Amino acid sequence: MIEKPETLDNRPQTLDRPSSREAAHRPSFIKATLAIVQKDLSAEFRSFELISAMLVFSLLVIIIFNFALELDVKVRESVTSGVLWTTFAFAGTLGLNRSMSVEKDRGCMDGLLLAPVDRSVIYFGKAISNLIFMLIVEAIVLPVYSMLYNVNLFRLDLLGVILLGSIGYAAVGTLLSTMSAQTRTREVLLPILLFPVAMPVLLASVKACNGLLTGAEFSEVLTPLNLLIVYDVIFVAIAFMVFDFVVEE
Amino acid sequence: MQPKPLALKILDIASIIALAVATYLALVFAPTEAVMGQVQRVFYFHIGTAWVGLLGFVIAAVAGIAYLITKDARWDRFEVAAVEVSTVFFFITIVLGSIWARPAWNTWWTWDPRLTTAAITELIYIAYFMLRKGIEDPEKRARFGAVYTLLGGISAPITFMVIRLFRTIHPIVIGSANANQEKMSMTGDMKVAFFFGLFAFTVIFIDLIWHRIRLGSLEEKVEQLKLKVSM
Amino acid sequence: MLLDATPDTSGYMIAGYVFSFVVMGIYVFSMYLRNANLERDAETLESLQAEEAKKSSSPKKK
Repeated sequence: MIEKPETLDNRPQTLDRPSSREAAHRPSFIKATLAIVQKDLSAEFRSFELISAMLVFSLLVIIIFNFALELDVKVRESVTSGVLWTTFAFAGTLGLNRSMSVEKDRGCMDGLLLAPVDRSVIYFGKAISNLIFMLIVEAIVLPVYSMLYNVNLFRLDLLGVILLGSIGYAAVGTLLSTMSAQTRTREVLLPILLFPVAMPVLLASVKACNGLLTGAEFSEVLTPLNLLIVYDVIFVAIAFMVFDFVVEE
Repeated sequence: MQPKPLALKILDIASIIALAVATYLALVFAPTEAVMGQVQRVFYFHIGTAWVGLLGFVIAAVAGIAYLITKDARWDRFEVAAVEVSTVFFFITIVLGSIWARPAWNTWWTWDPRLTTAAITELIYIAYFMLRKGIEDPEKRARFGAVYTLLGGISAPITFMVIRLFRTIHPIVIGSANANQEKMSMTGDMKVAFFFGLFAFTVIFIDLIWHRIRLGSLEEKVEQLKLKVSM
Repeated sequence: MLLDATPDTSGYMIAGYVFSFVVMGIYVFSMYLRNANLERDAETLESLQAEEAKKSSSPKKK
């Protein structure tokens, strides 16, 4: 038997077929993506840095809105949608920024780039983690808001719209935060880049949620919902195609 | 810097003449509109600059894609030129729109689909310059710029479609029934001013982009000289 | 409800046109300035380059 060098590739328990060594070790797309998600989630659940920051920020923003707007009972229904989405947008920016800068600071990004996977795996992994963080924060903010303002937000259709909006926001946000993390101005630049481009998500989500909360006809909700889905599909596709160009060489 | 090619010199003169003629047509030749008075004349420049602004953004997105595919720096220079010139002209569009709105609808601004999308689009392209400014490596700058023009170019029309869903004070075309009527019932002379305005601004647009591309080449030459000398 | 006389909005019109020309003028002028500055930089750098070339080909070598 030929002496093979002791590299990771030769671990006997993982190597079933000596032929096409590379193919046997190239993890599947989904597995690799989930690995990244798992890494992010387990790192976060150890410290709760990110989620706690996003959460506290969100609650503070909602309190500020209480004083900024006269949220009396009548006005509340028409304004809830906007207040929620403004909060999610700002808290989302916090999360996106932090998530990417932590990768850079800890040198994880370089490690990920060296891994034998498609670059887009990194994109999907990060995007899903960012989405999960946003959803966790939203899951806490919604009941709190419900309680504080006596508005029933526990509706499946509303949650569905919030999910779709968060997907679009996280999709574009992950791509843009990858870019902004590599500039001189870093965190400051992300909202400037993100908000104009994510406008359709915010607008459509607000419009759809508003329609649901004020009991509008379904057709009024359907149109923004359709546009939201269109946006999600288009921008996830674009991000997937373009991520290679945006990650450090 | 290379000497100005003859074609560019001719284009310069053509642009100036076109602008002068367009101005004359808009200010003197076209009849005064009955309902709003003289302020309606800004419409001719408003549409001309809007057309050029939007054209430039589309061109920029295409140039961005071309750069990503070919990695040829000339596409990047073309893209920067298109965005810069368009940003300037689109700014003129927005302000002229506001100036027109004030006497016509008694407000400096309305949140109707076109104006709002225009403002957001303008912000996208200002963000574009801030993005480029924050990157030192020219190759990365070009790559990121290209990606952002693509994102911006696709999201802006979607923004427009979404805002159209929101209830507006005004009906759709250029936001007011008055304007709608004007567009439909433009007299022959008005149409002349209108179409010539579009033509004139297109000529000016091409002229300025050409100049800006030359400027970009000079910028690159200087950057390369700096690198060589500092070694 | 119809106005009998067309309102005099020429003030706005003049503001609009003046604004347009001013902005276009500023932009063209900024390109001219940038061009002039870059030309000057290029000249300076080229002469620096020439000096360095002279130094490195001075009789000190070999």
